[in-house]
Amino acid sequence: MSETPLTWPEGNDRVPYWIYTDQENYERELEKIFYGPVWNYVGLECEIPNAGDFKRTQIGDQSIIVVRDAEGGINALVNRCAHRGVKLCEQDKGSFNEIMCPYHQWTYDLKGNLLGVPFYRGVKGNGGMPEDFSMADNGLDKLKVHVRNGGIFATMSDETPPFETYMGERILGYYDRELDGRSLKLLGHSRQRIGANWKLMLENIKDTHHASLLHVFFVTFGLFRVDNDSRVEMDDTGLHTALSSIRGKQELNDGTAQMRSFDSDLALSDPNLLDVVREFEGDQTVVMQTLWPNVILQQQSNTLATRQIVPKGPNAFELHWTFFGYEDDDEEMTTRRLRQANLMGPAGLVSLDDGQILERTQEGILAHPDEQGVVELGGRDTDDADHMVTEVALRAFYKGYRNVMGL
Amino acid sequence: MTISPEQRSAVEDLINAYALAIDDNDLESWPGFFASDCLYKIIAKENFDSGLPLGLLLCDSQGMLQDRMEAFSKLNVFGPRSWRHMLGAVHVTGSEDETITRTNFIIFETLAGKDTHILCAGEYRDIIIREDDALKFRERLCVYDTTIIPNSIVRPI
Repeated sequence: MSETPLTWPEGNDRVPYWIYTDQENYERELEKIFYGPVWNYVGLECEIPNAGDFKRTQIGDQSIIVVRDAEGGINALVNRCAHRGVKLCEQDKGSFNEIMCPYHQWTYDLKGNLLGVPFYRGVKGNGGMPEDFSMADNGLDKLKVHVRNGGIFATMSDETPPFETYMGERILGYYDRELDGRSLKLLGHSRQRIGANWKLMLENIKDTHHASLLHVFFVTFGLFRVDNDSRVEMDDTGLHTALSSIRGKQELNDGTAQMRSFDSDLALSDPNLLDVVREFEGDQTVVMQTLWPNVILQQQSNTLATRQIVPKGPNAFELHWTFFGYEDDDEEMTTRRLRQANLMGPAGLVSLDDGQILERTQEGILAHPDEQGVVELGGRDTDDADHMVTEVALRAFYKGYRNVMGL
Repeated sequence: MTISPEQRSAVEDLINAYALAIDDNDLESWPGFFASDCLYKIIAKENFDSGLPLGLLLCDSQGMLQDRMEAFSKLNVFGPRSWRHMLGAVHVTGSEDETITRTNFIIFETLAGKDTHILCAGEYRDIIIREDDALKFRERLCVYDTTIIPNSIVRPI
């Protein structure tokens, strides 16, 4: 692979395959993207509602503890003892009052400040820490955190723009549509590992037209089809995308028809699965947002979820799904969301196809780093589109990616 | 209340026949293992232990079982594979009318041209009743320990 010149072909309509397979490129991605000036999604506030609640997550290859402190603030701390580097926290989630390393019992508060070091003053006049040892300088590595309407983001860089600037007004509008400030109700998690490059997951959501071809379930039941009224919108960098679509427009114009079924000749045996209720302003029944670099914020009918992308080297990633509703959902709505969750996740009626096809993509390109993919559907431009018969979001994405990576 | 050896044996037969049907990819028979009023749910242990309701797969009616079966059989896209359920001893409590069982499972998955891997490990938590003179699952919770599912689950487990 070292024989391959890591260069980009001319134009926006070709994507070289080495970006999915090259180890050195992956390591540069960690530095320039995940550890660089980006806001990484790390969780939802409803996962850690009380003081002391924590969850463990990952940014790039690094393990991160996200914890709520006694004042209600949220901290993101690198999961590594400042003393000898021990991974402090092994549980996925839980609650603690302080963070203590089991090896030599260095102890930290929930903001990551070093509270105590055993034998600090020595024992019987022997040993102890030097006079000039600074507790303040030996806390945990702390990330900058931003919380917006229940979503938690963290950054390792001092150069990251403010969150609002970073997302841009248009993407924030979609973000706030789903995370609108209401308290969220956590419904649960699912996690899967897919043997494909992490960028292919973002592409999968930005590539609008595959849904009409791959996902027979979507097509059969009209949830997401290429003939639906749709929009593909990007921010100025091209890295964030909001894909929105309207199912059954005539039905939507009927204000009373909030509960909709599907064509009777395509009916499910139990229509409860798709007993969709309109719950947001506007006509869109699907809004899928890819928020650079590591999360998909989705509304498909009444399923709401985040999908956090955790890269695992160039050839694999994990997808951590968090499904949620709103605290003010009644029991009927919660049941509806849980039933519709069947569409998504590692056994999703729709998304299991994606897990399979992404792995096949990786297998297809693995031995061909010097070949390239074609993204010409809908032209060669990078402008917003008012339909989904286009790969424009991929072209815009890789324009942004090249900027970030200096390619 | 005690459970007769006959009932115990019949319950074990049901649990074994279910696993065999899935491994044989005989999905058409799958809904028939359940009672008319039924719940089938695959749920991550992390959700189960925390009281979070999300299932990886949830069917709460015969119709939903039927729809899932059709989707797995005809609509979803995935490559060829073999599955082998390995079941542990069946722990039986409850009554003859409503028998409660717990059974450990491991599922080995073999994809064409690849190594055999463990798809998931966990336990079935079942409620079994008699309906139309046959034993049926009124409730089958598949609680899986596996933190990260290798890709996807493309059949009922």
